[in-house]
Amino acid sequence: MKRPRLFTLLLLASGLALGTLILLPVLALLLAASPSGLLQLFNHPQVLQALWVTLLSSLLALPVIFSIGLPSAYGLSRCNGRIRRSLEILLELPMVMPPVVAGLALLLAFGRRGLFGELLAGIGLRIPFTLGAVVLAIVFVITPFFARRCVVLFDAIDKKLEEAALLLGATPLQTFWHVTLPVVRRGLFAEGVMVLAQGIGLFGVIILFAGNLPGRTQTLSLAIYSAFESDPQQAFGLAALLLLISLVLLATVHLLAPRESLR
Amino acid sequence: MSILVCRLNYPLANYQLAAELTVAPGITVLLGPNGAGKTSLLRLLAGLNQPASGQIQLGERCLFDAEKRIDLPSEKRRIGMVFQDLALFPHLDVSGNIGFGLKMRRVSSSARQNRVQQLLEKLAIEHLAKRNVTTLSGGERQKVALARTLATDPQLLLLDEPTAALDPAARGEIRRWLQTVLTQLNIPTLLVTHDAEEVAYFRKRVAVMEQGKIVQQGSFHQLLREPASEFVARFVGVNYILGEVCEQAGKLIFCSRGGAKFLAPFKQVIPGAAFMTVLPWDIALYRELPDGSPRNHLYGEIRDVVILGDRVRITLEKEDKLVAEISTRGYLALGEPQPGENFWAVFKAREARIENCEELPC
Repeated sequence: MKRPRLFTLLLLASGLALGTLILLPVLALLLAASPSGLLQLFNHPQVLQALWVTLLSSLLALPVIFSIGLPSAYGLSRCNGRIRRSLEILLELPMVMPPVVAGLALLLAFGRRGLFGELLAGIGLRIPFTLGAVVLAIVFVITPFFARRCVVLFDAIDKKLEEAALLLGATPLQTFWHVTLPVVRRGLFAEGVMVLAQGIGLFGVIILFAGNLPGRTQTLSLAIYSAFESDPQQAFGLAALLLLISLVLLATVHLLAPRESLR
Repeated sequence: MSILVCRLNYPLANYQLAAELTVAPGITVLLGPNGAGKTSLLRLLAGLNQPASGQIQLGERCLFDAEKRIDLPSEKRRIGMVFQDLALFPHLDVSGNIGFGLKMRRVSSSARQNRVQQLLEKLAIEHLAKRNVTTLSGGERQKVALARTLATDPQLLLLDEPTAALDPAARGEIRRWLQTVLTQLNIPTLLVTHDAEEVAYFRKRVAVMEQGKIVQQGSFHQLLREPASEFVARFVGVNYILGEVCEQAGKLIFCSRGGAKFLAPFKQVIPGAAFMTVLPWDIALYRELPDGSPRNHLYGEIRDVVILGDRVRITLEKEDKLVAEISTRGYLALGEPQPGENFWAVFKAREARIENCEELPC
């Protein structure tokens, strides 16, 4: 047998370290929460409310993210050269923005004294500290990530499929709807689940822009933060619950991950 | 009856595509070496790329005119194109693929099914109707791709190397099938290939493309008898020898670059740079030079022997290189010549065709 080289051992060791780094806290969290403790969480109305706000806001954000992100991503994947690079940088801007900064920025744009605040107030809309703010925060932070990953999906499509559709008499819109989207459908489902998973985890942007109002804007992440100050044991339970939800979503993403042939 | 007439210019990486072409109803084979611009020409016709200048006229309709600023989008050109890699829709079954164009035209579901069924029967692929396209064989995929295109009643068909990706057995079958189907349709069809066998099969009309230009249009027979360029000659397997026509004692004679001298009918030929073509099957091989009628001969060493079923291709080299194609029986009668042996290649003066050419390329 060949003796393992030193470099291989080095790679193995760092891989092991990384694995431990990921799994150890996960394990600790799951050990801290007992199954009965998890079930007991559902007796607290505040927990149920937080769960409801989390799911509702994520599900409301999803169609908005798709209807803005998908066409933009498709358009971007058709661009080339300098235009494409500039647009990609624009897309990366919200991705590198710290969540707390994003929350303040949203507040300054849509808050009562913000850029659009008066305009919105004029038509009777008050966004900050409502469920709408939670949704808007999710949309603001997640859409660029979503669009970025969709560009990759669209880039991988064989352009000849779309050209064939055009030659068969389909308009560009029909081609997008009947060929492009169906071809990447598995990838899009996976991205949708990914959006949910990311949206559930948002914290900084929501607490600043939407506040931490139980039953209205308090998502599970915010509930954990509140619980940690009063009842750490409940916080651990909630954290484990959130972790389980994320794990389920992650598994779904990988079950749906594009395996379809892109020929 | 529609006829395609086009004159197109388009810059390619290494040269300018400048093609003039007329395609009548029926199959025209577009032949050319790899990188000659054949696929580019198809894409320009289909409207997938925009020509720098020129016109495309299909029957009564003008599809593109740079001067008049007419540029019909692909979906309005009514051109059927079968891509080299077919581009079948992976998310639809065979019926779904064939019915796609009709669905986009908002043809009612029942009319669509009828038409698809009709095509499936006509093309003898009914058994594939519900199959997933990713599970089809190469030949089946080819048939489905053509059916999908025909469903939309195109007025021009563009087929990009329809048999290139098939194994030899399927290739012959698809060729026969294409011939049958396309003959019934009688619409202008441009079939791209770089396969000599394919040209020989669809022999009636051939257009040869080289370096972005159509250098010859005619039948396969004409290509054999009067190849317009070295590529055409080599492609159809004709001997092509560069040299010049000289006058010796009041008679014309062809002196090859290698230094050999040949006689020919010399019709409409003047002294100067020229090339000679001679068909491989007009050349006979002898161990001893035979007496008799004035014939051209070259004594050379056999470099290569290729047995092709009942024919044998033998390459002989001395001052010049000549390829002779003789029957296997003749080959056996000669005692199975092997590379390294010396033989006489002999052909009649009237089998040699000489044509003047521009300055000799060096």
